[in-house]
Amino acid sequence: MTDYWLSKMFFDLQNPAAAAEYRADREKVLARYLLSDEARRRVCDNDVAFLSKRTNPYLLRYFFFAAGMKDEEFIRKLRNG
Amino acid sequence: MASLVGAYAASHGPLLVREWEALPQDQKQRLQGAFEQLGQRIAAARPDVLIVVSPDHWSNFFLDNVPAVCIGVGETNDGPPEPWMKGFPHQEIPGHPALALHIVAEAMKQGFEPSVSHRLKLDHGVCIPLWRMGLERLPRIVPMLLNSIEPPLPSLSRCVAWGRQLASAVRSFPSEQRVAILATGGLSHSIGEPTMGAIYEDFDRETIRLFSSSERDLVSYLEENLPTHGNGSEEVRNWLVAHGAAGGRGFELVDYLPVPKVIVGCGFAAWRFAA
Repeated sequence: MTDYWLSKMFFDLQNPAAAAEYRADREKVLARYLLSDEARRRVCDNDVAFLSKRTNPYLLRYFFFAAGMKDEEFIRKLRNG
Repeated sequence: MASLVGAYAASHGPLLVREWEALPQDQKQRLQGAFEQLGQRIAAARPDVLIVVSPDHWSNFFLDNVPAVCIGVGETNDGPPEPWMKGFPHQEIPGHPALALHIVAEAMKQGFEPSVSHRLKLDHGVCIPLWRMGLERLPRIVPMLLNSIEPPLPSLSRCVAWGRQLASAVRSFPSEQRVAILATGGLSHSIGEPTMGAIYEDFDRETIRLFSSSERDLVSYLEENLPTHGNGSEEVRNWLVAHGAAGGRGFELVDYLPVPKVIVGCGFAAWRFAA
């Protein structure tokens, strides 16, 4: 099931300035989106496997790339939860 | 009347830029050689306009509105928005509104309903092949963004039909323009899903083989196998558009190379056109 607001945040964070703001003040950026408590928590936990079921896989990759996660770790989390 | 002077295809994975310097030397040389060969063929065909068929990688469209097909009809489009594409030498890329609008109008007459955009951001899908090909003179670009990213995706048969429609529209355009088609993307890769990093070489080689077989066999094979061979492989739709434009004939593999470092089965092809 697609989570619109989660996807919207991932989409917006493709912008380098927005991504930099996210890395500097994550809470401030998260507050702009109507995320459920669970989605918000899973984002903070870098729960790749959970988030992967709620957004487009390309957006998921862009988000974690923008957040600074290396591909190797991203793939490991995708596979192993 | 305008003429269709060539159709080409090339992979466009982001790591072809981001990991370029880290590629093994032999693979880098082979990839560069394939891109350059396509660039030389395009230069030799002397197109005034290049129709580039690519997905939109969330650069223009979001879940609010995801068109199956969008034709760029503007005077100008923007270069790639991705920060790691900042070395691409064009910040703005001239379009060809008259041809693009003619393509849209002819499509509408024939029961195709593309959306249009008067200004698109041309992301890495369009720009990596143009960059790596090293074209000295960039033709005007008419972008055709075809959704292979967010389901529902256009059917494979529809993509072939779109190619035929494009060719027909080009040939009825009342101006002496030389037009070529460049399909980008594929072959197999997997992005943001548990199989990310997988390259399905057997799938790629069979797909390549079938481009020289019957269209029915090609589409049938892809319909059966695309769902289990990586979401990025869906971009082969763009190749089907080029194939349709070439009348389903004349496919020629320029090179194929699975490149784990860029997590893509990298394919390069051209279609021979009768003189």
